[in-house]
Amino acid sequence: MTTPSTSQGFAEKASCSTSATDSLSATTTKEEVSPSAPVLNTFIRCEDVGFTYDGNHYVFSDLNLTVKAGEFLCLLGGNGSGKSTLARLVNGLLLPDAGMVYTFERSTSDRDQLFFIRSNAGLVFQNPDDQLVASIVENDVAFGPENLGIPNPELRNRVDGALKTVGLSDFALRETNALSGGQKQRVAIAGALALDPALLILDEASAMLDPRGRQGLMELCKELHGQGMTIVMITHFMEEAAQADRVVVLHQGTIVQDGTPQTVLSQESVLESLGLDVPFAASFSQRLRAAGVSLESCVETNKLTEQLLARGVALGFTPDGTLTPGSATDLAPMPPTQAAIEQSLLGFENVSFSYSSPQSSKRKTKRASRNTSPAEPSAAWGGDASNPWALRSISLAIQEGEFLGIAGHTGSGKSTLISLLNGLAKPTEGTVYFRGQSLQDKAVALEARKAIGVVFQYPERQLFAATVYDDVAFGPRQQKLSPEEVEARVRRALELVEVPFDDVYAKSPFALSGGQQRRVAMAGILAMRPEVLVLDEPTAGLDPAGREEILGLIQRLHGQGLTCIMVSHSMDDLARYCTSLLILNEGTLFAEGSPQELFTHPDALHSIGLGVPQAQDLAWTLRKAGWPIPLALYDEQRLATVLLPLLTATEGGDHHE
Amino acid sequence: MSDALFGRYIPGTSIIHALDPRIKLVLSLVFMVTVFAAGGWIGLGLCALLVIVGYRLASISAREALRAVAPLLFIVVLSALLNVFFVQGGEVYVEFGIICISEEGLKNALYVALRLLLLLMGMSLVTLTTTTLDLTEAFEKLLGPLKVLHVPVHELGMIMGIALRYLPVLSEELRSTYRAQLSRGATFTANPFRGGLTSLTSLMVPLFTGSFRHADTLAEAMEARCYHGGNGVTRLTPLTLSARDAWASVVVCLVLALVIALQFLI
Repeated sequence: MTTPSTSQGFAEKASCSTSATDSLSATTTKEEVSPSAPVLNTFIRCEDVGFTYDGNHYVFSDLNLTVKAGEFLCLLGGNGSGKSTLARLVNGLLLPDAGMVYTFERSTSDRDQLFFIRSNAGLVFQNPDDQLVASIVENDVAFGPENLGIPNPELRNRVDGALKTVGLSDFALRETNALSGGQKQRVAIAGALALDPALLILDEASAMLDPRGRQGLMELCKELHGQGMTIVMITHFMEEAAQADRVVVLHQGTIVQDGTPQTVLSQESVLESLGLDVPFAASFSQRLRAAGVSLESCVETNKLTEQLLARGVALGFTPDGTLTPGSATDLAPMPPTQAAIEQSLLGFENVSFSYSSPQSSKRKTKRASRNTSPAEPSAAWGGDASNPWALRSISLAIQEGEFLGIAGHTGSGKSTLISLLNGLAKPTEGTVYFRGQSLQDKAVALEARKAIGVVFQYPERQLFAATVYDDVAFGPRQQKLSPEEVEARVRRALELVEVPFDDVYAKSPFALSGGQQRRVAMAGILAMRPEVLVLDEPTAGLDPAGREEILGLIQRLHGQGLTCIMVSHSMDDLARYCTSLLILNEGTLFAEGSPQELFTHPDALHSIGLGVPQAQDLAWTLRKAGWPIPLALYDEQRLATVLLPLLTATEGGDHHE
Repeated sequence: MSDALFGRYIPGTSIIHALDPRIKLVLSLVFMVTVFAAGGWIGLGLCALLVIVGYRLASISAREALRAVAPLLFIVVLSALLNVFFVQGGEVYVEFGIICISEEGLKNALYVALRLLLLLMGMSLVTLTTTTLDLTEAFEKLLGPLKVLHVPVHELGMIMGIALRYLPVLSEELRSTYRAQLSRGATFTANPFRGGLTSLTSLMVPLFTGSFRHADTLAEAMEARCYHGGNGVTRLTPLTLSARDAWASVVVCLVLALVIALQFLI
C-alpha cells in the first residue's frame, strides 16, 4: 500500500488531505474532492529566503533553490553551512525571515497549509534516539497517520506497508529502544513513509550510523526514489552524494555549487576550499588524467573500476588462476605468550566480558535459541542483541608508543574493550594487565585509570562546568594538585588541542562551536597527563574539515610520545594513521596485525562485512583481474605510481600505431 | 541493563495481555483498595491467589515477576523490619537490650510484608502486560471526564508516554556520563566538602543538557509528523471492550468482594 506516490497519486491525495487541513480536528472529513487537481512539478521553491536565529547573524540571505518532482538531490556543506536550517524551512518547522518558501507550491508561512505540507514531506532527523515517540515499533510508525486521523483498516495497512518497505516487518512489536542505530533510523523512515509522503527529506540521517547502516540507508533511499519518491538528502558523505541525481553545495548560507555529481564532485580544488572531501574516484581519475592517461573523469568508484578493468582487458591482462585470495585463516591472530602480555604496556589474557552474569548468559543463549524465529533478520543490520558475550577470549599485548586502531561493526565489542582497558569494567573471565600487573589489584586499577585517558564518543557531551577553565581543570583538581599546577596543566592541555587559552578560558564551554567543544573535552582528558590516549570514534558527527583537524591533532599527540588507541569505522583513516590494527567481530578478535598485513587480505575482511581503504580495494580488484601489481598497502599516490607505467605504456603504443 | 526497571513490558499474547488497559488499571486500583481493606490472613490469601492466577495466565515466571519489583523490595523489607522491632506481644523469642523480637512482631511483619508485596505485584502485573502506549491511553481515557474542568488530559498522557519512552535512553546516558567522568578522575562521594558536589554536577549537567537536546529535536520530530494535540487523532489499536473484559471484571470483583465480606463475617 505504501508505494510512494507518483505525482498523479500525490495530486489526488493532495486534494483529500486538504479537507483534513481545513478542519484539523475532523476525523470524519474523508470527502473526495475532484481528483483533477493539476499535477505538481515543483516540490520546493525557495525565493530570496533569509533566515536568522538571533536577529543579527543571518544563516541565509537571498537563497534561491528549486527542487522538481522526482529528483534525488544531495545537499552538501560543512557544519554551520545552513543545511539543517534549510530542511526545517522546507517543512515549515522554521519560517523564513525574508523571502518565501513554497513546498508543493504552498507557502510555509500560511499556517493553514502546514498540515498539508508536513503530511506530504516526511522529515527524518540525525539522531535516531531523538525522533522515536513510542516504545513499540509499530506504534511509533503509526504516530504520523494517527495524527492525520486516518481510520483503521487503512492505518493498519499503512503501518504494515511502511515497515515492509524498510525491511522491518518482523520488528513490528519490538521495543524501539532495543534496536540498533541503523534499525532505529529505518523505523524513523517508516514513520515518515506512513504519512504517505511525496517528498522525503533526510537531515544527516546517516551521520550517526556505521558504514553498514549507512549503506543500507542509501540503498533504501535509492529504492524509494526508483518507486517515484522525491528525495532530498543532507549529508557529509561524498560516496552518498556521488549516487544522487543532483548535488547542491551550501557554504555559509549560499549555494556555491549546483549540478550533477559528475560536474560538482570532480572539482577537486573547489571542494577542498569548501572544506569537503573529494571522492576517491574523482581525485584518483583526476590524478591519472593529469599524468596523461586518457580516462573519463568519474565520481563513483565502481565506474572508475569498470573503466580500468576494460583497459586491462585491452592490455591483455587475464585473471591469474594462481592468485589465491588471502583467506581468513591467514589472518587468525596468534595469541601472545604470557610473558609478552606481562611485558607489554597493556595486556589482555583470555578476557571475556558479559553484561549479565555468566550463568544468566548461558540461560539467555538457550532461551534465545528457542525463541529465534527462522528468518531472524537482525544480523544484517547490526550486532545480535541476544548474544550474551560482549567479548569472548581476547588475548592481546599493546606496546608503548603504538598507534593502535580498532575496527569492527557496531556491537562487535569495541566499546566494551575500551572500558576494560582502564578498569571501568571488570572482565567476567580472564585478566587485564597494566605494565605487567593485574588490574584486579585496586591500587593498580587506580594507577591505570590515571595513566589511561579515555575520550569517549561525543566527548563534548560530558562538558558541564561554567567555564572552559573549570571544565579542563576538573580532573587535576580532583587529584588535589596545587592551583599553580592546575593552571599549568590547563594551559598545556589547551595548547595541545590547539585552542587559544586566552580566548576561551573564561567562556562557557556551551558557547563554543561543536569542533571546539570536542577539543576542550579532549583537553579535559589530556590535563590528567595520561600516558595512553584512548579515543572512541573521535571524528563521529564531524564534517570533513573537522574530521581532518581532529585526526591531525591525534597524529601530532602520538608524535609527541603518547600511546594512542583509536576506534574508528573508517578504514581509510585507520590505514593512514595506525601502526597496528585489531579487528573485532561479534565479540571475538578476528584479526590483528599491521595495516599492511590486514589490508592485503581484503576478501577476509569482506567476509565479515568490513571494507578496506578505497585505493586498496581498487588495487585488489585489478590484481585479481591479472594486473601485475605487487601485493602491498596502497594509498592513492602509491597506487597511481604503480598504475601509471602500465597505463601510459599502452597510451604510447596506441599513438605509435 | 534496564532489565530491573520497574514497568518493563514483557510482550505476550495471553488473556491478561489482551485485556483492555482501562479495565486493568481500574481493577488494579480496586485490588489495591481491597488489599488494604483485607483484615485477615484468609483475605490476604485470597488476594495472593488472585495475583498468582494472574501471573500464571500472563505466563510470567515467578523470577521475572520478582525481578520487576526488586528495586522496590527494600520498602517491603524495611516496613517488615520496623514491625519486627516495634510491635510487641505474645511469646518473646529474642531479648537483647532494647531489641525484643516477639511472636506478634513477627506475625505483624509477615503480614505487612505480604500486603506490600501483593500491592507491588498487582501493579506490576499491569505494567508488565501493558505497553506504555496503552497505559497512557487508558490513563488519558479514564481521566477524560476531567477535560470538563480544563485539565489537559491528552497532554498529561503524552508526557507520561514520552517520559516512559526516554527512561531507558536517559539511564543509558547517565551510565556513559558516569563512566566518562570517572575516567576523568571524578570521585563520586556524597561528601560535599570532598568535591562530591562538583562530581555530582559533572553528572547532572550533562544529563540535563542531554535532555534538553532530546526535547528540542523530539518536539520538531513530532511536529514534522503532524502532531497537533489530541483532537481528531485515531489509534492503530483502539481500545475496545470485549466479553473477555466483562468476565475478567466479574471474576476479579467477586473474589475481592469475598475478601471484604470475609472481614465482616469473621
